[in-house]
Amino acid sequence: MTAPTPAPDRVTARASGRVLPSPVTGQELVLIGVIALLWVALTIFTPAFLSASSLQSLLVRLAPVGIMAIGMTCVIITAGIDISIAATLMVCAVVTAKLLTLSGMGAVPVILISMALGCFLGAINGLLISYGRVPAIIITFGTANIFQFIGLRIFNSQTVNGIPPTLGFLGPGQAGRVLGVPYAFMLMVVLVALAWVYLRHFPGGRHLYAIGDDEQAAELAGVNVRRHVLSAYALTGLLVGLAAQVTIAGGTTTLDQSVGRGQELATIAAVVIGGTSVMGGRGSVLGSVLGALLVQTVATGVTQLGWPTQLANLFVGVFIVVAVGADLIRERYARTSV
Amino acid sequence: MNTETREDQTQTPPQPPEKSGPSARLSTLGRALLTNRTVLLVVLLALGIIWMKALDASGYLSAPYDLSYMTSSLVNLVPLTMLALAELLVIVSGRGGIDLSVGSIVSLAGMMFGFTYGMWGWPLAVAILFTVGFGALCGLVNGVLVAYLGFPPLIATLATYYAYWSLALVINQQQPISSQPVVDLYGLSESVEITGLKGIIPGIPLGVFIFLLPTVVVVWLLISKTSYGRKLYAVGTNDTAARWAGLEVARTRAMAYVIAGAVAGLVAIVTVSQFASARPDAGTSGNGMALPAITMAVLGGVAITGGLGRVVGVLLAALLIVLLNAGILLAFSGNAGSQYQLLMLGLILVGAALLNGITMRKYSGSNR
Repeated sequence: MTAPTPAPDRVTARASGRVLPSPVTGQELVLIGVIALLWVALTIFTPAFLSASSLQSLLVRLAPVGIMAIGMTCVIITAGIDISIAATLMVCAVVTAKLLTLSGMGAVPVILISMALGCFLGAINGLLISYGRVPAIIITFGTANIFQFIGLRIFNSQTVNGIPPTLGFLGPGQAGRVLGVPYAFMLMVVLVALAWVYLRHFPGGRHLYAIGDDEQAAELAGVNVRRHVLSAYALTGLLVGLAAQVTIAGGTTTLDQSVGRGQELATIAAVVIGGTSVMGGRGSVLGSVLGALLVQTVATGVTQLGWPTQLANLFVGVFIVVAVGADLIRERYARTSV
Repeated sequence: MNTETREDQTQTPPQPPEKSGPSARLSTLGRALLTNRTVLLVVLLALGIIWMKALDASGYLSAPYDLSYMTSSLVNLVPLTMLALAELLVIVSGRGGIDLSVGSIVSLAGMMFGFTYGMWGWPLAVAILFTVGFGALCGLVNGVLVAYLGFPPLIATLATYYAYWSLALVINQQQPISSQPVVDLYGLSESVEITGLKGIIPGIPLGVFIFLLPTVVVVWLLISKTSYGRKLYAVGTNDTAARWAGLEVARTRAMAYVIAGAVAGLVAIVTVSQFASARPDAGTSGNGMALPAITMAVLGGVAITGGLGRVVGVLLAALLIVLLNAGILLAFSGNAGSQYQLLMLGLILVGAALLNGITMRKYSGSNR
């Protein structure tokens, strides 16, 4: 990789005494604009879109991908990737469902167990990647298969039926919202806010960017690279364990083996549309969540317009190309103008 | 990308001080196992078959694990190995090369084949050419995005994975095409006896001869006997050096994606004949075809950093996975078999990756 050239906004930032890039990037502003346009258009063409129930269900369905995207953003900022989150989600979801149906445990212990389990699986990834010094994409391809095996063994070729509504407060139902706003969505917003502040203003967060920019330079500058990389993957697993709770709460009383399928690519898509660079060193959780919101809006819109559901994925593909393409053009422009 | 961490598999690593006697022979063997992927895969393959034979002999398997069972399982080898070769080309092309979209191209090109051959009654040869060409066109989109516009390959092919997947499902309202001409193609996946070897070697699936072997030979000739192949490895090893050497970096890299797309188009025809139906989810159902194909390529010693990888490694890796999978199916009843296949694939992949890391640190002089 070539040495990173300072973007113009960083140059002006230094001149005015700031060292951080501006709090909202251009990509995020454009995303907000596109989402606003889509919402207006959808409201005009399908009156059902702006109804409270439609929006509430959109926000609840947004939450799992949004929560996982926080962890994935941290991982991608360190120039890594985690393909195994769909399998982790499956393991956490089936363990949660079994605990709820068989032991009748309360919500709090179940959530804690699931998060601990996710964190453990994520830590396995992190250990292999940071101490085994192996490309993240290969390791997580491998562990995805292993975790999937574990999940399917726990399923034991049967769906889990009759899941009690213990986690209803995270779901789309009446129990899951206050003043019309779903708890699952609020949970996601709080987590995003925490992650945003941490990544921007805490040394640990800045170290993640440093590692993604140039791992060796970070190491030489005294950053404990291995520990930071390990904790990024463990955090991702932990958040996947939490997302599994929202997935179960948002589903029916039956859980089948397809849970989580395709979520790894959906989460990566959200992160990438949000302007996080897969080369590492650049990105924000705000963008990732906006990316997830854009994808969910399109999915909802396509359904409500009566178009074939699968058409939504075509738009996801186009959005990825447009978002990353715009970023590439901006970068090229920045490089030539400095 | 750190170019200094690369090492050539075919090249012998710096020799440590010579020792004599059996310990020296042992350490030579150990080094060969670690540094030469072909040796490792051959040993693993032999161990796997011996292990399965042992299980068979002690009565753990539900059916005999014999030569005829092993050759009949080769039918599963055809599509995945072809796609693994496609991934070989793309990964070797460097700059984080990877193609997540091959499974979706299989689905979409398969639907195109279903339309042209099964519904519009085009002649078979024309329909096949059209399907392969269509696959190449899908690959061209990837190639242009990656090589000319500078998209990270993971992202570009993630986008086209979604786009092609969606188009394949929407184009015929999610319905498969199984008209009579398509059903008649089922014969292509039957087993044939080789004349002269009748009775010695059991029937081998026809697809191995008419699809897999030609693809293997063409890809092998392409990367080891043509100037394009040398350019591809040069571009994959070091972008900048290749540019200064006067190579058309973008065109060489884009070509890898185009060929991968064409191979995926050919795989589409294989899957249509195996299912006797053009299914819109042929390459994307379940875990899809792209991830197993990438797994095989990586296991075969293709370095994800580019510029490194051989056809024989990919073939051995594919053979290892297919034969072990077939054995596992006999060892476990019901769904458990396919689940243990996942476990084995994951463990082998993680093991191979860790081994690569150790090899690099031990023998290449770099501590990364």
